[in-house]
Amino acid sequence: MSSEETESKGIKRRDFLKVVGGGVAVAASIGCESDKIEKLIPYLVSPDNTVPGVSTYYATTCRGCAAACGLIAETRDGRTTKLEGNPDHPVNRGALCATGQAELQALYNPDRYRSPMIRKNGKLVAAKWDEAFKLFSEKLGETRSRGGAANAVFINQHESGSFPAFLDQWLSDFGMPAHISYDAGVDTEAIAAHTAAYGVAWPRFDFTATQLIISFGADFLDGWGPSVPQQLDWADARAKLAGAPRLVFVGARRSLTGLNADTWIDCKPGTEISVARALSGEMPVAAAAQACGVDASRLQAVVDEYKAAKPALVLAGGHVAGAAQLLAAASALNHANGAIGTAIRPDQALLGYEGIAAPAQLRAAVARMNSGGVSLLMVRGANPAYSMPRSTGFAQAMAKVPFKVSFSSIMDDTSELCDLVLPDHHSLEQWGDAEPVRGTLSLQQPAMDPVFDSLATSDVLIRIAKGDPATAAKYAMPDYRSWLIARIPGGAEGMAAALPKGIVAGTALARTAARPALPAIAQVPDIATTSGDLYLYVYHHPVLRDGRGANKPWLQELPDPVTKLTWQTVVEMHPLTALKMGLDNSDLVVVTTSAGKLAAPVYLYLGIRQDTIAIATGRGHVNAGRYAKAGENAFDLVPLAENAAGGIALVSTRASVTKAGGSMLLATTEGSARQHLRDIARAIPVGELNGGGAHKAEPEEEHLEGDASHEFLPGLRSPVANDAQGDFGNPNSNDKGMYDPNHWSNMAKRRWAMTIDLARCTGCAACVTACYAENNIPTVGADWQAAQILPDRTGFGANITRSREMAWIRLERYYEGGEDGSADFETRFIPMMCQHCGNAPCEPVCPVYATYHAPDGLNVQVYNRCVGTRYCSNNCPYKVRYFNWFGYGEPHRPQYAFPEPLNWQLNPDVTVRGKGVMEKCSMCVQRIRGAEHRAKLEDRPLRPDEFTTACAEACPSRAITFGDAADESWSVTRLIKDERAYHVFEELNTFTAVVYLKKVNHPSPAAEPAHA
Amino acid sequence: MATVTKPVEDVELLRRPNIPSADVRLPAVKDYEQVDDEITATLHPTVQWFIGLGVAITFLIIGALAWTYQIYTGLGVAGYNPPVMWGVYIVTFVFWIGIGHAGTLISAILYLFRAGFRTTIYRCAEAMTVFAVMTAGLFPILHLGRPWKFFWLIPYPNWRYIWPQMKSPLIWDVFAVLTYLTISATFLYIGLVPDLAILRDREKNPIRKRIFAQLALGWRNTDREWRHFVRAYLFLAAFSTPLVLSVHSVVSFDFAMSDVPGWHTTVFPPYFVAGAIYSGIGMVLTIMIPLRKWFNIKHYVTINDLDAAAKLALFTSLVVGVSYANEWFVAWYSGSPAEKQFFANRLWGQWWWASSLLYTCNICLPLSLFSQWCRRNTTWLFILSIFINIGMWFERFVIVVPSLSHEYEPWQWAGYRPTWVDYAILCGSFGWFSMWFLLFVKQFPVIALTEIKEIVKPRLKRRHATGVDVTAHPLPFMPDTPGEFD
Repeated sequence: MSSEETESKGIKRRDFLKVVGGGVAVAASIGCESDKIEKLIPYLVSPDNTVPGVSTYYATTCRGCAAACGLIAETRDGRTTKLEGNPDHPVNRGALCATGQAELQALYNPDRYRSPMIRKNGKLVAAKWDEAFKLFSEKLGETRSRGGAANAVFINQHESGSFPAFLDQWLSDFGMPAHISYDAGVDTEAIAAHTAAYGVAWPRFDFTATQLIISFGADFLDGWGPSVPQQLDWADARAKLAGAPRLVFVGARRSLTGLNADTWIDCKPGTEISVARALSGEMPVAAAAQACGVDASRLQAVVDEYKAAKPALVLAGGHVAGAAQLLAAASALNHANGAIGTAIRPDQALLGYEGIAAPAQLRAAVARMNSGGVSLLMVRGANPAYSMPRSTGFAQAMAKVPFKVSFSSIMDDTSELCDLVLPDHHSLEQWGDAEPVRGTLSLQQPAMDPVFDSLATSDVLIRIAKGDPATAAKYAMPDYRSWLIARIPGGAEGMAAALPKGIVAGTALARTAARPALPAIAQVPDIATTSGDLYLYVYHHPVLRDGRGANKPWLQELPDPVTKLTWQTVVEMHPLTALKMGLDNSDLVVVTTSAGKLAAPVYLYLGIRQDTIAIATGRGHVNAGRYAKAGENAFDLVPLAENAAGGIALVSTRASVTKAGGSMLLATTEGSARQHLRDIARAIPVGELNGGGAHKAEPEEEHLEGDASHEFLPGLRSPVANDAQGDFGNPNSNDKGMYDPNHWSNMAKRRWAMTIDLARCTGCAACVTACYAENNIPTVGADWQAAQILPDRTGFGANITRSREMAWIRLERYYEGGEDGSADFETRFIPMMCQHCGNAPCEPVCPVYATYHAPDGLNVQVYNRCVGTRYCSNNCPYKVRYFNWFGYGEPHRPQYAFPEPLNWQLNPDVTVRGKGVMEKCSMCVQRIRGAEHRAKLEDRPLRPDEFTTACAEACPSRAITFGDAADESWSVTRLIKDERAYHVFEELNTFTAVVYLKKVNHPSPAAEPAHA
Repeated sequence: MATVTKPVEDVELLRRPNIPSADVRLPAVKDYEQVDDEITATLHPTVQWFIGLGVAITFLIIGALAWTYQIYTGLGVAGYNPPVMWGVYIVTFVFWIGIGHAGTLISAILYLFRAGFRTTIYRCAEAMTVFAVMTAGLFPILHLGRPWKFFWLIPYPNWRYIWPQMKSPLIWDVFAVLTYLTISATFLYIGLVPDLAILRDREKNPIRKRIFAQLALGWRNTDREWRHFVRAYLFLAAFSTPLVLSVHSVVSFDFAMSDVPGWHTTVFPPYFVAGAIYSGIGMVLTIMIPLRKWFNIKHYVTINDLDAAAKLALFTSLVVGVSYANEWFVAWYSGSPAEKQFFANRLWGQWWWASSLLYTCNICLPLSLFSQWCRRNTTWLFILSIFINIGMWFERFVIVVPSLSHEYEPWQWAGYRPTWVDYAILCGSFGWFSMWFLLFVKQFPVIALTEIKEIVKPRLKRRHATGVDVTAHPLPFMPDTPGEFD
């Protein structure tokens, strides 16, 4: 092209520059503009005492289960970001289980109803509150005018406090019968038996006051009753070491409680009563052993031990068919051996369990619904369409009710069948109270403004009542809060004074309305006569419970403490049974009972009888949100069978198991469940303890020049002594390691460290969820979180089948013994997280200094500097580094782990890590720095035990202690000197900051003296 | 270049196949003109060549698309299965670095050792080296979580005063690989200069002629130039020789410096170097055997040369075999349960198939090379070379993956299965390598013209009295221009 042409036809240079310049300006302006304008701080005019960026803490009450634990909700700039236990609360004493912590994900659940919903043309569509109120009033009026009010049914998720009585009053004001207080996850059989024997629904079990605990399928650590206080008491009892009680677990499957037991009597399902009779002497041991299919000598040993132990505590669970006699026998045993008043404390009863209706009430309501006898069905919180066994036909019966109203705040299987949804506030958004122990009210206050356009059901009821001339006078109070304040001693001032603590002396309003008598109980078949090859053991999932946790990704991703499976329903089978049937892990089988069938992969589990299979409930929802679709519903298999007090007998049938062909990868976090001589989780028989004191002095060893130093503390290399390869323990040494103690940063005087007492740890995994919450760890197992183009492994558990879970702390579960498939095996749980090695293998291999050693002993990961070579993970013997395989924190990606509004839960102190970087436990560095800054602002030194990490804070067995190992006044330094202390992989000279205290084994007195 | 050769009598021909390799004879090559004509004839593109290039570029595009997808979506699209944090990419990186060893070994070390058989294959091997290292160099970047930050591994001045961690073997890698790439590329180019001059002189196309002229650096074939050239060549050969040993030693440090059972062992540097040479020879055979057929240069790359290369392969195979045995012994002798159980798992556990494949390909099959018939059977040699390539890829796989999958922490033991992205990028790397190689063989002579001429007896107008043409003698003519003698 010649120059003339350029000038005549082509673009002139000037024009070109104009276009380019304009384009750049447009591109730049587009780049700068955000899609929507957001407020940086949600408050324009901040309420008093709210400082942007500084947390406010609200004491409130947990509604995750019936126990009503106390919560501290940490709220930053108007958003609740973390739930912790209330240390002043009489029930949970500062600890909090995984289920409770995950209430945050109910608050911010992306599948919450965002406004009232009205069914139009068969579909629920969003509506305005006025419209919804109008419809509800109309329908109420219709029902009443037709005289159907007495046939209305109100099912409420059971909760402690004044609301149930308030609700009953409202119902009676409208001429309706008292509500059914339903909780599928609670053992109503046990409640009935406790009430009969001890006069309270749930006494406190004081494990410290007993020598022997015999549990007949009572999973007191994982869901049988209030787990948190029971775990606290259990851990305290076991921490006595030499005087600790032994636990004998009787049942067909070892649950978490079963795995914590010292002895397992693996009796056939339904024959537990024979063991109880053997204990009471009503039945010869040999006959009992014959009946339950266990070894007579093992049973004899337990019987002998029981006779010698005073007091012994006998607990029994009621989910097995025919549990009524078992529970009665257990009560009789407790009466006989003097456990009542010592180990069983009815005077410290947990009142949260009072007033729960038996599922039989609901089944009776189903019969009425089917016959057209129910005019109006109202459901609040409960999800009976899922949690009642399919054989009861709840969902089908609902179709026969003319009008159904749901007060559920989150989409669930029941609310999706209703005609009108009046979404309730989440418990963290509304007022309420509970009476967890006698004479103490646990207050429930909103920790933040409602996330969505919901209304507290109590206020809805008040507004409806105000709209009715007949009741308007009675409901003069402006809202439920003022009604509640009027009940508190001292009124508004009393309330204001009590709220910071969260508890106040007082009693909740008692329910007085007449409740229907227990209907006739459905016949319980004898399990032995049902057809099938293997006993079917259905149990409530330890964290998802009866399905309530299913739409919370933290809980779906949290490995089941026993099976270590996530996002998946499996059929647990004994390895020898599987061998006989030609099955292996992950092979698909079809389980068929008289009630239904289910296809799921096999998981080989040592802790189950060879003639039994087990399936957990909680998963496989039809319509309860995006995450709840994972897995299968075990309730499909449960035939209608009730026990004497009207509780569902989950274990009531045999099932036939057939190979389905094909397999499904297990979404498990378990590698090998054996230690392979690695000595990771160590134990010491109680007899070999030295009295809990410091280390025994070991004979002087020959010391070679250049050899790893042994002279600091015999047997245990103190984490402070050997930080960063220096010889801090040796005052004569010139080797000060990487940082001189007089480092300019003034940080090298500290050595952050941690002890984990394996004698206390129960393996409940509350620490794992606490870590997810504190450190913004993404959940990665939803099926859309895998690769999108040609995904090679689809379905829920997508990334977990490739071990890509991100849990910074994990609970390892190792078996000892039982290689031959026998029931006589021991389980050791060990939480494993970054060990913050003094001589860290990960540090020198990082080419870009993304991981380095801080002067205060922390092994620091700089996300911004990480390029993702992953060499650090390869070189980490503990395998505690986790890589961001996808952009889990990027909203436009399918892998996004925090779909709106789940992102509101994120801790503002912690970065959401980007794609392609490594992350790991930071020992909650944000808390360390926060505490340091606070101390500096207040011009004081850090106080010993002033703060702790998220895992230690939540731990319901108080196994984790965090602190400064270089300062004698912190409790961690005392624990490090315990004779049980050891480092994992000490032989690698990593000089870890995490010190484990050996588990203490309590061998049966009848057994041979155990070898070390 | 200055391989010391002596002319041979025609009668001896190829009677003694096991002759010392310095005595290379090309009885079918009569004169310089023939060398120039036949070798430059290979430079004409053919349809088959275009098809081959098309296939190579297609593979490259597949790999490039897979990488793009991986960069956009994240490394999760590859088959990583923690704790197996390194997989196919690192395996392939070490594989290509290994391939890249044969070239320099042949052109530098064998040059210093005066191994005559190198003359006919070294150009090809050296080009292979450069392209293999270019391929290998992609993988450390490709396997990064954030590949766009790869330059953070390079020590460059910045106002934050952040320097790379010099203790990290990955930094040593950066230096080792870059140095090796620079030196081997320089070595290849320097060796090409006299040949480029010949191409320049014969070229008719003015543009190509101009390019060759630039590349030939004004080579006039003078005595002085040759003197400098030979010095430079010798210097570079001496310079490259320690690099051959150091590069793969450094690469092996990536593993040996860690504490992973199966990696943490002092035998790795020599073991890796031997393995690298072995795989390089395997790849040379894979390339040379079809090439000598397609390019009609069987009378240059004679069966004797292949025989000698096969002997080298056999020797390195035995060295590698001893290294394997040493690993087993040390695992047993260490008394460390982690080490012992890892090796048991590698041999009889979940990775039995990979290790059996490796031992079959790398130790058992090459034993056939003890037979002269096998060494001189090009079909078998070609098949065997493919097995060696596969075996050496799996050797790295067995080192990288099973070690990581079975470390100290039994709770974190896992498996590993690559995805289509891994395979696509692996294919892409072959496409990338082949593309460069195919482009090379049609632009530059795959046989060093000038070096071949050193072996070929010049046809003299007048015989020297002794019948020996020793360059030191003042002859009445200067062999400046090829084809001058008649």
